Amino acid sequence: MELIDKLSILADAAKYDASCASSGAPKRSSEGKSGLGATDGMGICHSYTPDGRCVSLLKVLLTNFCLYDCQYCVNRRSSDVPRARFTPEEVVTLTLDFYRRNCVSGLFLSSGIIRSADYTMEQLIRVAKLLREDHEFRGYIHLKTIPEADSALIEEAGRYADRLSVNIELPTDASLQTLAPEKQIGSIKQAMQTIYTGEQTVLNEPRAPKFAPAGQSTQMIVGADDTDDSTILHSAQALYGNYRLRRVYYSAFSPIPNSPKSVPLAAPPLMREHRLYQADFLLRSYGFTAGELFKGPGHLALDIDPKLAWALENREVFPLDLNRAEASLIARIPGIGLRTTERLVELRQQRRIRYEDLARMRCVLTKAKPFFITSDYHPHQAEVTSHLLYQQLRDRPQPQQMGLWG
Amino acid sequence: MITLDCDDLFDTWRQQARWLLSHEVDPSRVSWASEGVADLFASDESLPAAPGPFMARIPRLLLDTLERAARYRGDQRWSLLYEVLWRVSHGDRTAMMAGDKLGSELQRRIKQIQREAHHLHAFVRFVALPENEGPHYVAWHEPAHDILHSASEHFIGRMGRHRWLIATPRDGVYYDGEQLIHQRQCPVEWQQLAQNVDDPHGDMWLTYYSHIFNPARLNPKVMQGHLPARFWKNLPEGALIPGLITQARTGKQQDGQASGIKGREGKRITLAYGVPDTDSRETQNL
Repeated sequence: MELIDKLSILADAAKYDASCASSGAPKRSSEGKSGLGATDGMGICHSYTPDGRCVSLLKVLLTNFCLYDCQYCVNRRSSDVPRARFTPEEVVTLTLDFYRRNCVSGLFLSSGIIRSADYTMEQLIRVAKLLREDHEFRGYIHLKTIPEADSALIEEAGRYADRLSVNIELPTDASLQTLAPEKQIGSIKQAMQTIYTGEQTVLNEPRAPKFAPAGQSTQMIVGADDTDDSTILHSAQALYGNYRLRRVYYSAFSPIPNSPKSVPLAAPPLMREHRLYQADFLLRSYGFTAGELFKGPGHLALDIDPKLAWALENREVFPLDLNRAEASLIARIPGIGLRTTERLVELRQQRRIRYEDLARMRCVLTKAKPFFITSDYHPHQAEVTSHLLYQQLRDRPQPQQMGLWG
Repeated sequence: MITLDCDDLFDTWRQQARWLLSHEVDPSRVSWASEGVADLFASDESLPAAPGPFMARIPRLLLDTLERAARYRGDQRWSLLYEVLWRVSHGDRTAMMAGDKLGSELQRRIKQIQREAHHLHAFVRFVALPENEGPHYVAWHEPAHDILHSASEHFIGRMGRHRWLIATPRDGVYYDGEQLIHQRQCPVEWQQLAQNVDDPHGDMWLTYYSHIFNPARLNPKVMQGHLPARFWKNLPEGALIPGLITQARTGKQQDGQASGIKGREGKRITLAYGVPDTDSRETQNL
């Protein structure tokens, strides 16, 4: 099979993994050196595909042959898809070629499970090792970790890769048992623990060899079963806490050709995935907890964002006086982000904050208006009930034209 | 009215601004010629060449900020900077801040500059010129602001010992393996080299781009927000975009598979044969 055919099959097979981040790596440079590549902590999106996703890394599978039969996966063994396998050298050639063209900032390599977990992991490591040692490649490498692989192999992978990830796949043990019978929550968490320990070991040792300096991430598939958003975000919160994950990615289940009966035929609304990312951001950067976002089991609202939903549920906190309130509370006002909060705090050291300052800072005033006070403004909506505010502020979907053939 | 010309050079503007400030010339009395008003309001006042009595004190941060904002191409490129300088040097630091009317325009320009530098880092596409005595890699790029010189240092770290060149309709840079050479007027030979280069192995990237796209998640609006259409014509993948969008729409976005994969013969794996050994001929013959 020609290399270009393999590339088309193995890129097509890799697109369901949402992550394409190239950020968080330490500073490396090839200035005046042999070899190729640099990282500076910032990720670069080199292109965008018409699905709005960023292309930052060459994201491929080493092979889409797979022994497992995970129901949601296009590459499961019972799936009737064309199969291919790269040699490690081929992946290296493609990575270096795309890198020199400035089409990508590195490689994100994953694989179907062939022969055994250890064998598969060894193959992934071999690619990273070739890149780093034979080609002195200093760009970004993200390796998918096979959870059942020997921990010594995971440790070896961490010495070559900037980022490691183990996919949790599904948020509960029960759904994993139903949809991914060969996978076990125990080994997935064990692999996360191995990576976490590896990171901790080199933490305060500047001279120790680097270990996955961009940390670890994971992915959860959303909408392949009936798990609710509350369960998903509580489980994400536990992962952030227990293993210091950098990111949890949420991948809306994408219908696959010849879909088995065990998974839905249609995708969940992409808005659900979007709301999960918004809520996840509130957990990671705004100091919210999953318990604050959910009163009980259930989904996030699709028609209002989770921060607005929280504000409507907690009206006693508002309106906040922007000239006095603590920064962490200002950041909880809907429509006011972290950057605006920073700017408001900077500005109020110079003078009083006025209403028109917020317009200039381009925050979403329609959302923010009921929730803050400035020296020249008091919201008349402060007394309006949350239910009425919700009616005023919720997104109304654009009417959709139906397909001609239904 | 005083009309000055700084030839779009920050250092020249800085000298002029320092001199204006020393004479306490109010911003409303100055304009810069490159802003296209030279003929309309030619200078009708003159000031002594020697510096005036006013000693301005400005925070160091301001100079960096102004230098960055100066890379912005647009109306009142230089007079806006002078107005900020004037207000800060007279004790009003809010002129640099986003909450202020002038400050928010200043910050908006800086943001545009950063964005455009980022666009350069992301969307430059190098094409190899093997065996070439000059650059090994050339690229054609059309930045909207004067960011080429400062932002292209990024590629020194990336490309190692390779020699590379980026040509634009205005300026150009060439890294000769040791230093970065910037030409304010891009030499015609550079422009031709970058625009006429052949790319016999370009199809790998195009294949990758069209297969990593998930048609079931079509969302052209988000894509355009991140990848403005003005860049499409210089990106090899730019020509694929309209076709991929149409294909996804007419295929009704049933699933994520690319149309080129859909028609091909598949292979189910049976465990009855034991573990599939994929070290077959396919991988050997490459």
